[in-house]
This record gives sequence, C-alpha cells and structure tokens, in this order.
Amino acid sequence: MITRINQLPTLRVDPANKVVFDYKGKDYVGVKGDTVATALYHNDVRIFGRSLKYHRPRGLYSLDGECSNTCMEIDGIPNVRTENTLVKQGMKVKEQNVKGSAENDMMGFIDKLDWMMPAGFYYRTMHKPASLWPVAMKQIRKAAGLGVLSPDFEMPGKFDQIFPSADVVVIGGGPAGMNAALAAADKGLRVIIMESRPWLGGFFDYRTFDYRDAQYKNSKPLYSRARELASKVESHANIRVFKHTSVVGTYTNNLVTGFQIGTENDKFNERYIEVRAKSVVVAAGCIERPLLFDNNERPGVMQVACVHRLAKTYGLLAGEKAVFSVGHDLGLEAAVDLFDLGMKILCVADVREDGQNPYLMIELAKRNIPYLKGWVASKAHGSKLVNKVTMTTIDGTISRDFDCDLVVASAGLTPINGHLTLAHATLRYDSHTNFFVADKMPEKTHAAGRMLGLEDSLSIEISGKLAGLKAALDCKLMPQSYGNTETDALKSEIDSFTAQSKELPGPARGSKFVTAPVKGRKTFICFDEDTTIKNIKQAIDMGFDVPELIKRFTSAGTGPGQGGIPGHNLPLYVAKYLAESGAPPKPTNVRPPLVPTLIATYAGSKHIMMKRTPMDEMQRADGGVFRKIGVWERARYFSDDFSCKKEIENVRNNVGMLDGSTLGKFRIHGPDALKVLQRVYVSDMSKVKTGRVKYSAMCNDDGCVIDDGVVIKLGENDYYFTTSTARAGATIEWLRYHTRFDGWDFYVINLTDSMGVINLSGPNARKVLQKITSEDVSNSAFPFSGYKEFIIKDTIPVKAMRLGFVGELSYEFHVPSSYMVSLWNMLKDAGKEFNIQNFGVEAQNVLRMEKCHIILGQESEQRTNLLDLGLGFLWDRTKKDAKTIGAVALRQAENDPTRFRLVGFEMENNGRAARDGALIVDDKVRGYVCTARDSFSLNKAVGMALVESHLAKVGTRLEIFEDECGGERIYGTVVPMPFYDPDGKRMKS
Amino acid sequence: MVEIKRYSPVAFKAFPKRTEARDNWTVVLEYDGEGQGANCLVDLSHITRLDVQSSNLDAITPFGITIPQGLCDSVLQDGVLINRMNSIQASVFCLSGKRPEMPAESSYTETTEVGMCMAIIGKDVFSITEKLTSLDFMDSAKITPFLYQAPMSHIPCQIITLSRDGAKSGILFTASRGYGKDMVHAIMDAGAEFGLKPAGEDRFKSWLNTL
Repeated sequence: MITRINQLPTLRVDPANKVVFDYKGKDYVGVKGDTVATALYHNDVRIFGRSLKYHRPRGLYSLDGECSNTCMEIDGIPNVRTENTLVKQGMKVKEQNVKGSAENDMMGFIDKLDWMMPAGFYYRTMHKPASLWPVAMKQIRKAAGLGVLSPDFEMPGKFDQIFPSADVVVIGGGPAGMNAALAAADKGLRVIIMESRPWLGGFFDYRTFDYRDAQYKNSKPLYSRARELASKVESHANIRVFKHTSVVGTYTNNLVTGFQIGTENDKFNERYIEVRAKSVVVAAGCIERPLLFDNNERPGVMQVACVHRLAKTYGLLAGEKAVFSVGHDLGLEAAVDLFDLGMKILCVADVREDGQNPYLMIELAKRNIPYLKGWVASKAHGSKLVNKVTMTTIDGTISRDFDCDLVVASAGLTPINGHLTLAHATLRYDSHTNFFVADKMPEKTHAAGRMLGLEDSLSIEISGKLAGLKAALDCKLMPQSYGNTETDALKSEIDSFTAQSKELPGPARGSKFVTAPVKGRKTFICFDEDTTIKNIKQAIDMGFDVPELIKRFTSAGTGPGQGGIPGHNLPLYVAKYLAESGAPPKPTNVRPPLVPTLIATYAGSKHIMMKRTPMDEMQRADGGVFRKIGVWERARYFSDDFSCKKEIENVRNNVGMLDGSTLGKFRIHGPDALKVLQRVYVSDMSKVKTGRVKYSAMCNDDGCVIDDGVVIKLGENDYYFTTSTARAGATIEWLRYHTRFDGWDFYVINLTDSMGVINLSGPNARKVLQKITSEDVSNSAFPFSGYKEFIIKDTIPVKAMRLGFVGELSYEFHVPSSYMVSLWNMLKDAGKEFNIQNFGVEAQNVLRMEKCHIILGQESEQRTNLLDLGLGFLWDRTKKDAKTIGAVALRQAENDPTRFRLVGFEMENNGRAARDGALIVDDKVRGYVCTARDSFSLNKAVGMALVESHLAKVGTRLEIFEDECGGERIYGTVVPMPFYDPDGKRMKS
Repeated sequence: MVEIKRYSPVAFKAFPKRTEARDNWTVVLEYDGEGQGANCLVDLSHITRLDVQSSNLDAITPFGITIPQGLCDSVLQDGVLINRMNSIQASVFCLSGKRPEMPAESSYTETTEVGMCMAIIGKDVFSITEKLTSLDFMDSAKITPFLYQAPMSHIPCQIITLSRDGAKSGILFTASRGYGKDMVHAIMDAGAEFGLKPAGEDRFKSWLNTL
C-alpha cells in the first residue's frame, strides 16, 4: 500500500475516515472522498482490467473516466467508470473482460495476433463462403463487449429526475464557469451551474501556484482562489449548484440534460436533470490530448493531470521514478510540483522547440531536473507494467532508455467542445491553438475559459465573466424583461470587460505534435476499441480519407469514452497522413450521451401512468385480468381461460356486464355544431332524431375509416357523441382542424372521463334493468337504437342507449363516473337472481366478431376505407351543407376493383381458428386475417379477413399462412356475414 | 340495498379522521395524523367545476365574476377561481366546496366528473413539481394566480399556481379522472423526501383563506 500524503491543503479526501470495500473477495481500505480507482491505486492495484480486443492490461490514465481502461464491475453493475465513482463502505468491486485475473489473463495471447485483425477485418473477412459468417459472427459476438449482465438483473437504488428551470445554465464549475454564474446571478437572474466533479474549482482546484504570475493576484494560490469563488457561488441566492453532474446533451432552445450522482445525504443514487434555460454558457475546459507512442496505454503511462491530481487531490504519488514526455506548460508545472512532493523525476522531455514558460524552466533547473527539448517518449517497456521508457528526439535520430515505473505523457490540450457540437455550433480548426473551435456559435450560447485556448488565470476568469454578462443580456433582451436602461448598462459593462480582456494574454499557442516516430503497431489512438495508428493507416490506404468514415471503419472513438481519447488525435493524424491534400483537419461528430450513464437514470422513477376506469378496483376484486390497451388498463378476461368460454356463453344465454368506460365521449354545441358533424361524419347527421341513436363513421381525406361511434341529439345544436377508445384523444383536434377555414361557431368538450359506461347484455338484460328503474324499458317503449335519459333512484342521471354490439339485447348506460360504482352494484344486486356475470374485452371481441361488427384497428388499418369494410351504407352522397371529409376519395374508390374487401370465413374441416394477422396467400400475399376465433356459439372457428376482391366471393377457399408454420398452410372458406343471428332478431327483441 | 355514493378518483393511503357527506360524496375534512406538516396533498375532486365556452366570453360573468382577458390568466374571487384557457373557453372552480346553483345557459358544461382535482400546498411545492414537470412556476413574468395547460408527470393537466409565497405556496391542478391513482402515486413518491402528506379539505380551506 502506498503512503498517502495527508497534509496537503488541496486534498479532497479525508484520510482519517476509512472506507472498507471488497475487491475480488478481499477487504481493501480507502478513505472518504476516494474514487474506486484511487482507492484501488492506494492499495497497489495497477491493472484494473483488460482491453476489449487484445486483452492488453489497462490501468489509470486520465482520472476523469475518459476511456474504458478503468471500467469495472461494481455491485454487480458492469462497466462502471471507477475514476468517477466514489468508493463506499461495503462496495463489491470486480475486474472485467478477463479469463483468470486482470494480472494473469489467459486471453492475453490475443495481443500477439493483432496481425490477424487489421482495420475493419470483420467487414472484409469471414464472409466467403457465406455459411462461414454466422459461425464467425457468433464467436466475434462472444468475444466482443465489456462486462456481463444477467437478463434477470434488477437495478438496485433509487433513480430520480428533475426538470428545473433557469435563466442561465452554466456547463462547467471551473474558474470561468463560476465567474459566468456569478456575473449572471448578480444581475438577478436564476442560474444553474453543472459540474462533473464532486466539487467546484476545475483546473484551479489542485494547483498551489500559478506559474504565469508566480502567484495569483494578492498572493493567493489558485486552489484558494477556486475555493473562494466556489464559496461565493454556493452561497449566492440566485445560483443553484449541481455537483457531480455530467452534462450529456445540449439541444436547441437551450435545453441541457445531465445526470447527477447522489451523495450519501441525497435520496437518490443518480438522477436525470433536464434544464430549459434562456441562455447557456459552456465553460467545460480542456482535457489532454494523448501522446501517441508504442505501448502508450501500458499501466504506468498516465496523463499529466492524472498524476498531478492523484497527488494533490488524493495524496497519492503515482510512482517513484518518473519520466515526463509533454507538450504543454502544465506538464512542466506538474514535474516541479511532484518533485517537491518527493517523486524522482528522471527527465522532462518537451516536444515543443520553444514557447515554454521561462519561470518553469528556472524551477526545473533549480531542482536539477534534466530537460530534453524536442524529445519524446517513443516506447514504454514492461510486459504488464511500465519498467522502462525509450526516449527519442522527435525526428527519431537519437534514443535513450530510462528505467522508471511512471511515464507522464501528454501531447497537448484539447477543448471539451462536445456540448457546442451537439448544440449545432460549427467547428473549425484553429492552427494557433491547434484546437477545434466554434466558428459559429448557436443562438444564446456562449463559450468561456480554457476551451477558447486561454491559459492565463485572469484571462480565464474575465472570459467567464463576459460570457455570464452576455447570457444575462440574452435574458434581459427577452420581451418580458425588456428595459432599455438595464440593457444599455449591461452592454456597456460587456464593452468594459471586453476592453479589459484585451489587455490580458489571449489564447496560447498549442502544441501540434501528434505521434512519436514509430511504426504504430502498438501505438493506440483509441484505448476503448484497441485501435492503433497502424489501423488508421490501413483504413486510409484502403481509401477512407474522411475522419468520420475512418472512425466508423476502425471503431476508433465509438467506445464508452465517447471519443475522449481519440477525438482530437484522429483528425490531426489523418490530416498529417494525408498532408499532400492540404485540407485542414476535420473533427468527427459526437452524439448524446456525451458521458456514459445508466439506462436506469434515464428511466428515472418507475411511474407507469395509465388510465383506470371507475370500476378498476372492483373488477380486479372480481378476478379481472388486466391488460394495457392504449392509455387504459382494462379487464380483458375474468378467468384463467383466455378463450372466455363461460363469459361468452353467459352473455349469449343469460346476462353480463362490461365496463365500457374507455369509450370517447363528447359534447358539441353551438350554432354551427351540426355543420361540424356533417363535415366529419359520412352520414347525414341532420337525420339524427331526438330519442334515437345514430351510428356513423368518420373518414380521413383518403376515405379511410378513422373512427366510428354513435351520435345523440341532446337539444337544438347540442349533441353528445362517442368515439372509439383509441381516437378519443385526437377528436377535438380533428374537428377543429377540419373546420379551420370556416369560422363556424361551435364548442366541443371532452367528457370521456366524465362518464362511465356499463354495457348490460344478454337475453335477461331487460329483466335486470326493470328491477332498478320505474322507466318503461319494454321493447316498444325503448326499442333497438333508442335513447332515453332517466334518473335512477331519484339520484343517478343516466343516458341509456339500446345498442347491439355483441349481438344480444343490450343497454349501454352512460353515467357520471363518480356514480359508476353505485350503479354497477345496483345492477349486480338486481342481477343476482340471474347469476349476472362480468365479461371482459376479449369476450366482447369474440361476441361482436360472431356478429361481424367491426373494431377499427382490428378489421382495418390505415389504408382501409369505408367501402372495403362494407360500411358504404353509412355514406350519404347527397349532403349539401358541408363537404364530407373523404367523400371525394370514396367516389374514386367506389369502382376500384383492386381494393380489399372484408369477408367472413370459417375454417375447413372444423380446424382451429387462424391467428390474427395471418396472411392470405396463393403465390403472393392476397390479404390478411383480421380477427378469427373458435366460436362457442357456432361450434366452429370463424373469422374476418381483408382480401383482394377476387377472393371475396362466398365459397372461395382461402389459403392461410401463419408465422413459423414451416410451410404448412391452413385453409378457410368465405361464408356470408354475419355468422350469428343474421337477422338481428336477438338484439332487436 | 345498495347505498348510493359518489366516489373520488383519488384515494390516499391514510385513514380519514373527520368526514362529511355532501351531495353523495364523502368529503374528508381531516386525515388521522395529518398534523401541520410542511407540505400536503389535498383531494378536491368533489368541488364543482365548469367549463364555459363562447365566442364572446367577455359577455359572460360566471357567478358574477369577470373572466380574465389574458391567455392563461386566472382570477380568484369569493371562493371562485376562473382560468382563461383560450379565446373561447374558461374553466371555473367553485372552491368553497358547496355545490352552487348551476347557470342555465348552454355555454356551460359541468366538468366536475371529467377530472381529478388536487392541491399541493407548502414550502416545498415547487421542489416537488420540478420532479414531475419542466414547467417554470417561478417565472417572474407571471403573476399569481396563473394557469398552465401542460403535462405533469407526462399527463396533460390544468395547473393553477395560487401562491409562490414561501410556506404559503400552493398549486391546484386537474387531470383526466382515469389517471387519479397513478398521479397520486407519482406525486406522493416525488414528495416523499419533502414529507408530503395527504390532508383533508379543512387544511385547504384554511390555506385558501390566507390568500
């Protein structure tokens, strides 16, 4: 176990507070504030796992989870980024993608077979003969992927979501982000700041001095300045701080999404955050651009900030003897700092020929640290861990070896500009900074800080302040808060800070160095996908000349690191390799989520929002088996027998009750209400008579049926109508849309939930009804298609209709939802002597199918028109007041012989019913089965199908093809419809 | 003999301490252990609600109150809350809990049965709502009371912000009756960390009197 440096003022761990966790079955000890990765490192774990393809050993590299090197299984969850996950008491940690152990992986030999796996090998090999590919694919799939998750795995923990609102959202809690937040908040705006680390401070947080000014203004070390800013931000009433929150997406209209990892005081493990702001400041800073050399991902090779932060934030020295190979001043600063902490620095190689900060050069010299200008690491040695590094001049002419256990390597810096890309900023290559910078910023989005190439501390802070003020101006210019004086003052403040910023150092010149002079067989440009420089060369040599295509072909940048490691080097390397074209480097695309997170976090709270009818609880108590049907949960069956034999027979022979409350119900009224009905229904709605129910259908402009239902006249220009369950949500919009140019005066109100519906059906239905009302419900007083309004027990108002959907004597009661349970109980009580039973949606489906009554969506799809279904009789061709929607198309379709026809069929030889959706075929597909069931009323299997018109004639044999029938067809014969009670005597009696 | 009762779409996992029968509803006035917690959820599904629709809304004064002219503006007067939904429609809530005499004009439709109606009251109302909706209740451009017609917990709602005044904060909302059970589940879950508890109508009335 390495000794922790406990006295640093920059520490973010509490060395006195021990945390015991389990690694591979043994107890390990970390401290509070440690990540899993730092705790393991503290316990001398150097190899965290094996790489995806070649099973190469992998260890700490960035400390910010920029690659999959340190992804491990934690508490059963694979691919957890241990560099970003705080260690907790009792955590169980395992290595992944190993056969054996990370130290001794039996699959490690694959590393020597890299010659068999050139770029895109799975696109190009194993495809001939064709029979080889399925076998090879299975093996590749078996080998591919990191981590294993059982299909039965249940995600532990609490996942939540919030949708906070803000005027300004700031991405990044470093010095620029904090200044931006303060500047906007001081203007009275509501600000949200999102920071991926568990604390604010950014790259000031771990640094004890600023080498550019020797000391910060007023002799304040940078970490101290960071904490001062953080304190101001966290105590500001207008700023809401989300720490340990990674932004995963930025979208148009300033929508920013992220996820936050909960602390022990939070009620969630992770939560999804979605912020809609008026303006966005992106101050996400920079990451390091990896240095490309042989074995550049061997455990023991780390980035500058990784080593520096490991020491200053966590109190851990990454090694004893280090060699630095860097391309920026932060590398020199780290070498000085780590030397002072006791690390032996064998040499510092700098790829830059000039531009180094002289103050740092002096500090290196003071410490007798050898400085090799124009040198670079070319190869790390050691089979599992680094034990030596070869350094060479950048032209490769001279080499020297150094025995060491740590190689600190970094080619340069690169801005984290994924947030800008997602927000549709256009990036261009800037040769001064060697960055991809935003050429055109999205509206109301501002960038600040290091991502602009700034390195000077004061420049960074002022850029943040400016961005915050510009964001404030965005908000103040919005109509509701418009005020000339205020905005003018803001503009002059912006001008003043702009002038100040011009006095300070601007963007620094960036290192353009990409790769050491190596052949590249073991030089990894993407750690996640084991993509080497050689692979990139292979892809380019095969004709791929655009980084985006090379990325696809080689997989570079498509792993969990989301392009963090190769994102910048790939286009630079491609541009270098294709130098003769002279084109500037082109960045590759990024997509959300910018940072990998759990699907459980996106799922959030597990609330299933479904509608329930007023009878829901009672029907469950009665044994109802519920299914989700559209937005509703409905009782589909009332026993384990899903053929519903008893339910069906009870309705045919006795009396049953169905809860039909999900039907759409509407009131339409106003002087032009009838005109609207004439427009949307195919029938002549002026013929709707008081006391009668009118059944009709609505079509779309193509004549295809979209809805059916009944219409009742309540009074002059006042109607009540029903729609199918599925269409209820769209009905008002449909009416308004199709009358939008008419200026008609009408009003519609959705009463779907307001009225419950009870369907009382069966030969004994009238006898039951008679027991609860004094109303004359005889066949003459209340005939088929009749409508009555009455009040039951002087209390419950009922709209009653005589309908016959299931083909029996039926009543449909529309009753205020709050009274549904009472009326249901009254009918149940009255029906006790007949042994009244519930029936569910499936029984209703069979009953109506026997009667050949259609259900839209079952006997129709979006191309099925009114005539196809045999409902042409509903269409009134003589309506004058309004143009009926779909009438023109129906006229054209009337004589079209190519259209399908709805037919009834029975199965041959008393066979079972065909499955719904089965195809009607000969040598081609000729139609499909809509609904077919074994009919207990008819003692045979019957169904309805939509078929080509030449198959519609009674007696035609239908050949039916079902999924997985293995070539064995079943057959039916077209028969007249309806199958049951063709004269309708039962429902009309 | 079946007792005729009206049932609310909303049910809480709490035991009613005091109830009152009103127009066949069993209105819970207070729940057992309700106390004076910081945040509470009240079922008001029994209160009478109406929609009024007319191309000349200015000419209509429900219960003598002028309908606000601005889109999504609301007015609370004499226990009646009126919300301007669009150019031809307003919703009317009779918050007193007593059933008023219904206006006879055909421009009115009673909507009491259409939806559940609940109030969330307390200092953490907007911390709870931000877990359920992205609506900006604290938008300084809006003056209480105001109406949102937008989703909460993915369900289309009418939400009226009645107060944003610290512990006196509160909203009233309606949504399709069928979502009652799942909506209560979602809200109680969102409010658990803030100690959200069911409360009876009395708590709502006391709060309403302070506005």
